[in-house]
Amino acid sequence: MRIAIGGKGGVGKTTIAATLTRLLARRAGGALAVDGDSNPNLAVALGLSQSDAMRLPTVPRDVMERRTDVDGEEKLMLVASPEEIAKRYGVEAPDGVRLLILGRVGHAGTG
Amino acid sequence: MCRNHATVRSLLAQLVGTSTGPVVADMEAGLENFSRGTPRHVDALVVVMEPYFRALETGARAVELGRELGIPRVEAVANKARTREDELAVREFCESRGIPIAGWVPFDEAVLQSERAGKALLDHAPGSPAVAAIGAVADALTP
Repeated sequence: MRIAIGGKGGVGKTTIAATLTRLLARRAGGALAVDGDSNPNLAVALGLSQSDAMRLPTVPRDVMERRTDVDGEEKLMLVASPEEIAKRYGVEAPDGVRLLILGRVGHAGTG
Repeated sequence: MCRNHATVRSLLAQLVGTSTGPVVADMEAGLENFSRGTPRHVDALVVVMEPYFRALETGARAVELGRELGIPRVEAVANKARTREDELAVREFCESRGIPIAGWVPFDEAVLQSERAGKALLDHAPGSPAVAAIGAVADALTP
């Protein structure tokens, strides 16, 4: 089950996403949270301390690489499996949640 | 192509039947995600709406764009309703746009308190109405 949480800013997306992830993790024996917000605060909402949340690892840019596919089209592709990425760059959160943080790096030059 | 959007999109695409269990992606606020197709490969899109016009309008647009991406299940969660009038406003709006509502999370002082304390809602106020309501959303979303 993959769920995306969207909506206008300030409507309470992150609190709902964090709480939902932990409740689902309790039922399933684990879950993966993906922070795709450019101003990430999912870590605190999941229960990590504010000081820890300031220095969490993020998924580095080079997990995506430009490769040419069979049709000769250039595409950005993941260089490792999602499991491997979750293992390598994920952060432990309560209730068996693993958190992957994207978006803290600026968008400059990547647009 | 912004790499962050592409990374989230690729991760979601490939996180099918993996050992990670359920996956929840907290998307960037607003609609840019959708033009980039970031949430294309999810099983459900939950659009959080507050009972005031601009949040409802943006939410409805997100629902529309989510459907255009082919997401199998697109539903709203009404958040922070304080009164019967608030609830009615969301209900009528969603009915008029044909948007199903997966759950109702009431306005809850415990959410503000947990934010002020820098704590998870679930740790700060596990027995709060908001937590109970989000539990009901989890029930509605899981088979």
